Parts: sequence; structure tokens; C-alpha cells
Amino acid sequence: MTATLTRTVCKRTAAVTTPDGAQLHATVEGAENAPVTVVLAHGWTLSQAAWDDVSTLLSDRVAEGALRLVRYDQRGHGRSTWGDTEITIDQLGNDLAEVIDQLVPAGPIVLGGHSMGGMTIMCLAAARPELFGDRVLGVALVATSAGDLTSDPRSAGGRMAKVRPGMLSALLAGARVLEKLRNLVPPTSPRHQKMVRGLLYGADATDEMVLEGAKIMHASTLRSFFEFMPALGDHDKREELAALSRVPVEIFVGDSDKLTPERHARHLAEVLPEARLHRAERTGHMVTQERPQLVVDGLLRLVREASGGGSAN
Amino acid sequence: MTSTIETRAVPSPGAAAQPTREVRVAVIGTGFAGLAMGIKLRERGETDFVLLERADDVGGTWRDNTYPGAACDVQSHLYSYSFAPNPDWGRSYSEQPEIQAYLQRTAARYGVREHCVFGADVTAARWDEGERRWHVTTTAGNFRARVLISAAGALADPTYPAIPGIESFEGTVMHSARWDSSHDISGEKVAVIGTGASAIQVVPAIQPQVESITVYQRTPAWVVPRTDHPVKPWARRLYRLLPGLQRAIRGVLYAFREFLVLGMAKQRMFLKPVGALAKAHLERQVRDPKLREALTPDYTIGCKRILISNDYFPAVAAPNAELVTAGIAEIRPRSIVSEDGIERPTDTLVLATGFHVTDLPIAEKICGREGRTLAEVWEEGMVTNRSAAVAGFPNMFLLVGPNVGVGHTSMVYMIESQVSYVDDALRTMETEDLAVLETTPEAQAAWRELIAEKSKGTVWLAGGCASWYLDKHGHNSTLWPDFTFRFRKLTKQLDRENYVGVPAGAPASTEEAA
Repeated sequence: MTATLTRTVCKRTAAVTTPDGAQLHATVEGAENAPVTVVLAHGWTLSQAAWDDVSTLLSDRVAEGALRLVRYDQRGHGRSTWGDTEITIDQLGNDLAEVIDQLVPAGPIVLGGHSMGGMTIMCLAAARPELFGDRVLGVALVATSAGDLTSDPRSAGGRMAKVRPGMLSALLAGARVLEKLRNLVPPTSPRHQKMVRGLLYGADATDEMVLEGAKIMHASTLRSFFEFMPALGDHDKREELAALSRVPVEIFVGDSDKLTPERHARHLAEVLPEARLHRAERTGHMVTQERPQLVVDGLLRLVREASGGGSAN
Repeated sequence: MTSTIETRAVPSPGAAAQPTREVRVAVIGTGFAGLAMGIKLRERGETDFVLLERADDVGGTWRDNTYPGAACDVQSHLYSYSFAPNPDWGRSYSEQPEIQAYLQRTAARYGVREHCVFGADVTAARWDEGERRWHVTTTAGNFRARVLISAAGALADPTYPAIPGIESFEGTVMHSARWDSSHDISGEKVAVIGTGASAIQVVPAIQPQVESITVYQRTPAWVVPRTDHPVKPWARRLYRLLPGLQRAIRGVLYAFREFLVLGMAKQRMFLKPVGALAKAHLERQVRDPKLREALTPDYTIGCKRILISNDYFPAVAAPNAELVTAGIAEIRPRSIVSEDGIERPTDTLVLATGFHVTDLPIAEKICGREGRTLAEVWEEGMVTNRSAAVAGFPNMFLLVGPNVGVGHTSMVYMIESQVSYVDDALRTMETEDLAVLETTPEAQAAWRELIAEKSKGTVWLAGGCASWYLDKHGHNSTLWPDFTFRFRKLTKQLDRENYVGVPAGAPASTEEAA
């Protein structure tokens, strides 16, 4: 125990307050004077815990002072509050800008976004293009999409789109009851895990992974499920990715991703011809959990480039 | 705050100049117990007594604990003197300022305030066998008393944790019981050490105003919902009009709380629903699975004091909060390092680390017939007769001493039981014209046996936790391990057979000019 004390890592918790009053729970790890800061944004109905595996693999580099790590809970997720603004993915982009302005006011930044977190980065690129190339020097997009999530009727997104707004608000009104019902099938139950595995994970995922992911999702509220659902359907940044073309981008996708199937990653790679596309086999939507080393390698390449360490490899 | 670091041998310069004051009774402390004793003395026509108070006001624990959010865990209808009901309580569970105001008001109303000597920190109290008097040295002069009553209390002297490097910390350090309200903590990075009764009140009170709050937890507490609410004006009028109604509510609350004893001391099964309630409370308030797990105790509910709060869990789950379960390895000038090697920058350190309960500091200052202090006599554990008297310490009585503590109900009930016991002892001395009244070692052994017997199998001993209820030998030396009405019954009258009395006329062993 005391042996680890020869090397200590600085950590602090911060609540980033947005202009509309939302409080975003953020965790900052590493030295203030680290050459690069990595900011990670998580996906829908998850929390910053979805980045736990990636963070663990990065911890040595954080301890060495090679990088600083910022994770935060998106509004309405984890410990973060809701604020007063209508829920859109654009708003999440504004939130990310706020996290950067308050917690990383200076120095190079590498952004990582999983699923809705990737969309968050795209929204930031559209709203604050001047950051890219100046402050943001690298972006990792993991299992995400630039838009058109609902056009494939067989995908999860397509099925989602059939839910009418009226139905959504009805579901939201009944959230309390639904919440009780949901507790009847806890993450530990086999049925729950089968469902989660089928929707989100690839063939190689272990039961522990699935349980861990199921626990994180179970901790999110039904309100975040229902309120963000239409926002995700409305997300479309296919024509606004110009700012991203200015920085190195790593794209990751699992071949068995049912939420943001491979074509979304291919589309991103087409719009961003310089981007490096990584396709992971036997992998689902939860790439940060299923292939954390792959994501970490990508992030570290971006960090090296951002700190002026030359190109990949 | 008066300093307690005064050395015993050297009286303060002010004290030396004053002549020794003769009194019949000297009471140490003016908290709930000291004031109750003073009021009782006045009631029986005694006017020749002093209440020695180290601070500059009455109130004791309720004067000292001014940290944000300080409040009582027992409903005010019950947590108040039976003889001084207060129809005007503003909340069902009162906060510190209101309780303190009640004590100040009650002290004045019953005329005990003029018996208080403030700034009188007792540095030593020594029994003089020849004079048959207690010599009490204080920072506000010396006193000679026939009877000494310690009402110094158990939650009086804060404990400070011995963490490596704590003295090197350059930020502000505050014990919850010594809160410095002039220090503005808003916008600071605050660390709170401890998760006991004080911590779970101070954490939610300061969490919204600080930049970040880190709670260092050793053992999680069981927390049940707090049914706190403001008392409606019409209800207060009703209590004023019908004092009997308030008394009835008091009785109901008392009875309801005694049911907990069934579970804690008699049949563990009865604690099950309380545990289920606490578990549901946690699950409803904390969604994060890891945080929930960290906040779930692994011992039986009731083993440590059950805490009540509706805002503690939301506060540790707040966006600016972090709960740390790794122990503290060291404290650096501007940060705290936990045993997992994580260093967290810290501006203010709040020590919610409790009090010297099983090693009452007053025991080090009271010196008995054989020249040994109470602490020395108690080296192998605190022994008393009826929790009030100690062999070798004639004419001395303890209030809120060993084995009168209660975690489930109002301490005031126990205090009033003790006060009536001491009152009966004083009456006995008067009617029998005794100069000395002293209990016997045999009576102490029997009392200790009784406590040990009652404690056997209770949740405090067998619940799988380490708590401040147990002394370093693992012996229950703080709690009354049975129904409180049983304690009242056992202390209703002086157990005269357990005392040796020396008549006033009898010669002392070493006669000196009195």
C-alpha cells in the first residue's frame, strides 16, 4: 500500500456550472502542467464510468505526467443535473465547450467521444470551429455517427424512430412506474444481461463486461432515456464536420454494432479522408469496454501528435 | 473557547489572587446535565452551590457544536426537560441554535444562571480526607466543596486523528465541534474526515456552497429517513393551550423509540425492518452502483449509532462531491493523499472525528482519597455504582458518565434519572447527617456484572463493528444496554445499602483546620 505512495496522482472533483444552471460532475486526474489534456465524453444512458477501463489503462501515463485526464457526466446522466434548456445534442456540444473553458482554459486538448459523446464533439466542432486546430489537436470518435440514425428500419435507431413524440411524453409521465418495473429486472438477472448483451455487445464480450455495463446503464434514469431519444434522432452534423478535418481523427467501430452500425463510421471516414478508421471484429457498440486497449492506443497516438511528438507509429 | 491545555500543577495567575471559595456543592459543566442538576438543587432549597463552566455561556455540547447543519437526532418534544416543556419548538427536530436558546432560557428561568462561574475550566479536583472536602482548582479561582458533581459530559472534548503530516497542513483545520464561523468556506475545496453523526449533518449543509467536497469514510453508517418538518403555528398554539397534549406526544415518541431497544438488546429480528428501511433509503437516493456499494455497511444496523438524514446521500452524490474509502496515508501542506496514491488538493479540512467518550478527560483531573486520579483507577475499564458513584471518591457523583449513553432515544431522559438519584443521595446525607457518603467496590463489581450481562449478545457487541460505544478492551462502557425505564427504576432511589456513610461528628483520620 505504502509502496504506491512513491508516486501520487493528483485528482479533483469539480462541478462545471453551465449558463442555464446545469451542474456537470467532472473528474480531473493528473498534473496541472501536463503537456496535453484528454477530455472524454460518454454515451447515452451511460456515465463517465463507461470510460473506466480506458482510464485505468491510461493511469500510468497520467501518473508520469504525460497527460491530464478529464471525464464528466453529460447533463441528465450520472451525477450531473438537467439544467433548464431543451435537450438537444447541440446543447451537449455547448456543455463540452463549458467543460473545456472552465477546466482546461489553456494547453492542447485531445477529445474522445463514445456514441452520443462523439456526436457531442461534432456539435462542438460545428458551434466552436475555432477551437479545432488551435486548442483541440486530436479527436477520437468511438462507435458514433454524424447523423441519420433512424433511416435503417432494422437498426435500433430505426425502431426508436417509430416512437412518436406523444408516446414519449406519455412514457415520461409514467417514468416513476416504469422505474419500479425496471427494478424488478436488476442488472444481475440473466434476462437483463441477455438483453443488454444482444443489443450492445459483440461475441467476445465477457459476462463481467456486460454486467458492468448493465449496472452503469441501470443507474441512469428513464428520464434520460426518453428525453435524449428524440434528440439523438434529430442529430445531423453530416454537413458541418469541416472543423474536424483540421485535426488528426481516429475512428473506431465494432463490426457487430447495432446502435451505430458500421456504415456510420464509414461515412465519417469518407467526410474526413485523413482520419484513421479502426474496425474491431466481434465487437459491438461498447468499444470502450470491449476493446479498451485499441481505444487507448488511438488516444495515445493523438496525445503524441498533440504534444508535438510527430505522427503515428 | 476556553483552553483546556492548562497544566494541572500551576494555577493561573488570576486564580492565585483569589481566596478559596467555600460551597456546599460544586457542579462541573452547564450542559443539559449540569443545568438539570442546578435546577434540582434550587428546587430542594439549596443555594450554596456553583456550576463551574469553562466557556462563557451555558449549553455544553449544544453551545460548542455550531457547525452548519448541527441539529438533534431526537424530536424536540422528547429531547427537552420534562419539567420545562417548550410549546414553541420551530421544527420537529430542532437545530442547534434553538436548543441552545432553550437551555439559556431555562437556565435563566430557574435561577441557576447566577450560580454559574464562567471561564472556570477545572484543572484539578482533589479529595482532602482530613477536611472531608473537595478542592477544586479552576482557571477562575479555587473552590472547596462538600460534594462534587461532574456533569462534564461525554461529547465534550473533541478527538483529533493522528494522521501523518496533519501538522504540516497549511490550509484551515476545523473540528466540527470547534467550528470557526468567521472562516468562509464558500468556493473552497473542502475535505471532511469522518462519517458519523456530525459529518452527516455538516456535509449536506456545506456541499452547495463549496467548490468541491471530499468525504473520507472509514466505515459507512446506516442512515434512515428524517421525518423533520416545521411545526405549524396552530400546533404551537395548541401545545400552549393543552400542555397535556405535548406530554402525550412526548410519551408516544418515547415509547416508540424504546421499541428499538427490543431489536438492539433483546431480539435482533426486530431490527430487520429498520435495516430494510435504511437499505431502501440508500437505494432510492443513490443510483450510482459503486457509490451505493461504498455507502452500504457490512455490519448489523444499530451496532454503530443509526443516523437520520434525508440530505446526506444526495450531498455525497452531488456533482461536486466525492466519497473516498481508501484510508488517508498522509496530509501534505495543501493536499491529502489517500492510500491508493491519489492526492487531492484541499483548502479546508473538517474533522468530524468525534469526542473522547471512552476516555473521559475529566477523569484525569479528579483525584480520589488514595491520591489516584479517576482515569488511573479506571485504567482497566470504567467502574461505577449505578453509573454515578465510584469507590475511593467520596461525595462525588457523575452525570453522563459510563453506561448512561443512549443511541436510540433522548439523553435528557437519562440525565433526569441520574439527577433524581444524586438528589436522593444528597437528601440521604442531610437526613442522616453524614459528612461522607461513599460507594463500595462490591457494589461496583455488581453493577459492572449487571452491565456485562445485559450487554451480552446485544447488537453493539455482536453486530460486527467497532464503535465508540466500546472501550479499548471491547467492553461496553458507554451505553445503557437495556430499556431506559429500567435505568430509571434502578436509580429511582439511592441504593443506601451500597454506600458507607460517615456521620458528621466522626473523627477523620488526619484532622486539619477546616
